[in-house]
Amino acid sequence: MTQTAGSSSPRPSSQKLMKLAVAGAALLVVAGGVAFYYASKGLKSAASGAITVTINDSACDPNEITVPAGRSTFTIVNKSNRALEWEILDGVMVLEERENIVPGFTQTMQAKLKAGTYEITCGLLNNPRGTLHVTPSAESEAEAARPALVSFIGPLAEFQVFMAMQANSLVKATKALDDAVKAGDLEKARESYQKARAPYKQIEPMADLFADLHNAIDPVADYLEKREEDPGFTGFHRVEFGLYAKNSLDGLAPVSAKLLADVTALKGRIRGLRIPPEQIAKGAGRLVGQIADTKITAGEDHYAQTDLADFEANIAGVSRMMALLKPVAVQAAPQVVADIDSRLTDTNSALTALKGPDGYPAYDKVNADSRKALAQKMQGLAEAIGKLNAAVGLE
Amino acid sequence: MKLKLVLSVSLLTLSAAALPRMANAEVAPLDLVQPIADYKIYVSENLETLVTDTKAFTDAVKAGDVDKAKSLFGSTRMSYEAIEPIAELFSDLDGSIDSRADDHEKAEKDPEFTGFHRIEYGLFTENSTKDLGPFADKLMADVTELNKRITDLTLPPEKVVGGAAALMEEVAATKISGEEDRYSHTDLWDFKANFDGSRKIFDLVRPLVEKEDSAFVTKVSGNFDKVDTTLAKYKTADGYELYDKLTEDDRAVLAAAVNTLAEDLSTLRGKLGLN
Repeated sequence: MTQTAGSSSPRPSSQKLMKLAVAGAALLVVAGGVAFYYASKGLKSAASGAITVTINDSACDPNEITVPAGRSTFTIVNKSNRALEWEILDGVMVLEERENIVPGFTQTMQAKLKAGTYEITCGLLNNPRGTLHVTPSAESEAEAARPALVSFIGPLAEFQVFMAMQANSLVKATKALDDAVKAGDLEKARESYQKARAPYKQIEPMADLFADLHNAIDPVADYLEKREEDPGFTGFHRVEFGLYAKNSLDGLAPVSAKLLADVTALKGRIRGLRIPPEQIAKGAGRLVGQIADTKITAGEDHYAQTDLADFEANIAGVSRMMALLKPVAVQAAPQVVADIDSRLTDTNSALTALKGPDGYPAYDKVNADSRKALAQKMQGLAEAIGKLNAAVGLE
Repeated sequence: MKLKLVLSVSLLTLSAAALPRMANAEVAPLDLVQPIADYKIYVSENLETLVTDTKAFTDAVKAGDVDKAKSLFGSTRMSYEAIEPIAELFSDLDGSIDSRADDHEKAEKDPEFTGFHRIEYGLFTENSTKDLGPFADKLMADVTELNKRITDLTLPPEKVVGGAAALMEEVAATKISGEEDRYSHTDLWDFKANFDGSRKIFDLVRPLVEKEDSAFVTKVSGNFDKVDTTLAKYKTADGYELYDKLTEDDRAVLAAAVNTLAEDLSTLRGKLGLN
């Protein structure tokens, strides 16, 4: 039995007629109030007539419903003999639910649904489920093409959590590095250095927004007047210089202490960072572009030669950023999203191909052809990411 | 009688729907990012506790230690109940972890009746761990899977903010009546956890609402405090009194405060522009 929006008159049995009539009247008042609410908020879509779903002991009636995408109101009538919850499911995910509907009672539920096919629950957990078809509407198509700012709250929050966790790992590993330096343990210091490097590289697209900290944490000697002897040579690479070029901890204690203070400050600033949604693809694209343009040729880790591990961490961070945007972006720009996905896979494959049995080779052992091939993959990825903001209406 | 209730329920829905119209929805969407991120961290911490506590609980069940398992039942559930708005987003796991006998055709005898309440039934009604081993293993596996799925889940902001009211509705519907933990009568533990979970959400978005509607914030805080004070009377050294110790007067105080909280908090989504 199929019911479409707009034709939602239930067929009450005679003994329930009076009750339903009164409940129906009350619902009309509710529907009126709801319609007034949306009208007064100036929204284009009002509730498009409530859909009545009656749950008896073994099934939903109707068992198949079709509504247009956007906001719908459902009136759930519990004619079974047990309290129930009514749910709209997308796979195993509950999209909307109304709990604890007592036998003989009616509840209303509003749901804002995207186009697709969903299941509805019908009482007992092992009762067969019904089907809810949500058809595309002009409004839903427009919203998918240009997602509202609220649809980025979830991805941005998740990005904040990701950065907070990486920042925690960064501070923790840098603390271990500083401790090892103070304890005079060169091996432990090298190990901790590598552990600290990865989370920093994962959040680099946001970390490099703070110029002062970026210049203190990650400057490369090439860009400093007196190179390794320059007083501005601080942070990771200064520590790396000691650990891997001089094979010594001499003079590193104040450097690692300063690095710890700086990454701790970075953690605090990232927490307070208010990131506009367009900044995600912008930051990711900029970083991958820099890798393609300069980092692959010049390298950064001159003493440890661990550039490939840096790139891997950079790409892991970029993958995370893209994965977070994907659910919002995929409707508006399926091709751009697919292109980014395939280029991320290509880039990861190119990195993996360079790995030997003991992991990545020293970067100075990576020949010009391999570097060029990797740079091309990065370039392609940067270009694909560069199309994302415009495709989802963020430019 | 029922007719009157249907009407009042409908009218309540009406007033809840009409309220946001008057509220000021001036909250910028990006202001919600940090509260939602902080809530995700709160959820993750609770899940970590849930996995640890469930391990100890199910180990006790499998070791045949009825007394220890009984003593761990109430506390183990708390981290689940605190994050229920998110934990119940996966219908398969919600069913296998936290369904009640009524959700199943053959009630307690139904083979699909699993999870916390099935084990609760064995421990408290049958006073035995006999045949509970497979249920213990399943619960542990389900809780581990839940943790994994939620870690990968982007929390829907409207579910987080709506969760404050959902938790109080849950208390009103199943805790005040004492039906949730019907075999163990540890409902006050769940009650406290639902309450803490709801208050956490409210506290996270409170600064955003305060700017627009400080009277609302004062009223809601007052009712939260009232529930907290009343519940505190039933605190014991290692948890809460059994539900039947709750006096009629206190039950009435809690019911009134919880219903008002559920109603007030249901306007939170609208106030934050998430309807």
